[in-house]
Amino acid sequence: MSAKPKIAVYWTGSCGGCDVSFLEVGEAIVEILSRVEVVFWPALVDVKRSDLEAMPPGSIDYALINGVIRTEENREMAEILREKSKYIVAYGACAHLGGVPSLADLWGKEEIFRAVFGEGFRPGPPPGVDGEARLPDLSEKAVPLEEVVRVDYAVPGCPPPAPLISRFFTALFSGEMPDPPYVFANVKALCEECPRERHDDRRIERIVRPHEIVPDPNKCLLEQGLICMGPVTRGGCNALCPVAGMPCTGCLGPTPEAGDPGAAMLSALASLVRFEDEGEEYFAREDEVLERLADPLGTFYMYAFGKFRRRS
Amino acid sequence: MADGNGHEPRIVAFLCRWCSYAGADLAGTSRIKYPPNIIPIRVPCSGRVDPAWVMEAFARGADGVFIGGCHPGDCHYVSGNYKARRRVTLLRKLLPQLGIDPRRLRLEWISATEGKRFAEVVTEFVEELKELGPMRAEEAAQDVR
Repeated sequence: MSAKPKIAVYWTGSCGGCDVSFLEVGEAIVEILSRVEVVFWPALVDVKRSDLEAMPPGSIDYALINGVIRTEENREMAEILREKSKYIVAYGACAHLGGVPSLADLWGKEEIFRAVFGEGFRPGPPPGVDGEARLPDLSEKAVPLEEVVRVDYAVPGCPPPAPLISRFFTALFSGEMPDPPYVFANVKALCEECPRERHDDRRIERIVRPHEIVPDPNKCLLEQGLICMGPVTRGGCNALCPVAGMPCTGCLGPTPEAGDPGAAMLSALASLVRFEDEGEEYFAREDEVLERLADPLGTFYMYAFGKFRRRS
Repeated sequence: MADGNGHEPRIVAFLCRWCSYAGADLAGTSRIKYPPNIIPIRVPCSGRVDPAWVMEAFARGADGVFIGGCHPGDCHYVSGNYKARRRVTLLRKLLPQLGIDPRRLRLEWISATEGKRFAEVVTEFVEELKELGPMRAEEAAQDVR
């Protein structure tokens, strides 16, 4: 590739962690930044919406958008970036799947305002501002990027882990980008790359939460009763959390085989929770274990509710 | 389907081909009357019922989901019904978080000889769903995908 690829990085409904995550690659960031031309990146350079609007359509090669689509302004910016860019990359779990913020859709917009700002709150002009200025209104739903514009690639994660950021830029610089749509993470489950020992005939007789036990450093976390989303989640992070003793929470999104991560993990748990034998005499004990699962929805859909909700 | 009075609930029923589906058939051939509110779907085993199907049925407007399996100890595949039971336990924890009353999901053991019982259970479920009323109108409207 002769000319440097032009990239844009933008945040919508985001915590800012995705913008910082580029530093995860360490010194490689120096090389990455020297091989691209940053034309728009509000967190890094002084550019305004009007600068973006002045760019010719298709003039940006890759626009990496992180964050959920939460406000009208988010949607407008996504639409402008779509027009100005050859490829749109959903960067991070929020843009990819809705992320944690999409769990807010369990409640309506009005309920969210009430819970956060109290009774009687009305969105209006920010204090001390005259004239027509107003804050962008909250959308009814917090949706993944693909619900508002066509998305070509995803670099998943909360935030994307270093190996996947590298995978994306390596492909970009080699000039051998896969055909869209493509997710820069493994098709196989995280368990495939997890170094912890697991047994084929595993079953679990208890469910515990991370603060309740000090897990054995070598054994599968699920076998120890921690709800690890590894079996239904894409690999690619080198099992970052399980290696550190924390169960996977599913930020890279479900494997294509798992599909709906909640349904898949619910099935997996229903298979795993059993005692030395099965039958009517075990029903009460099985239920006692299953009842210990706190917040199934938040556990199964921590990052993917936006994409996989069937209702709210 | 505005109010509970006169509301006819729609029930998606996943019936195991070895027991409950045969039980439903027997109810039919024995000419036992029961409310026509169920849409039976024959499945190889209650353990074949994917939790995603249950959620999809609710999302597409079912007022109730019924899963019929073999009595404990009678599963043609040894333990499919036990797995179905544990899935239902978990689903009944998950559904309220989505605003769905867990009583809308029902699992029953019905054998091939229990045509009468099938009719009774369905009748009872329809009555219960009538009392619960239609799924909230906004829930049906919020079917996203």
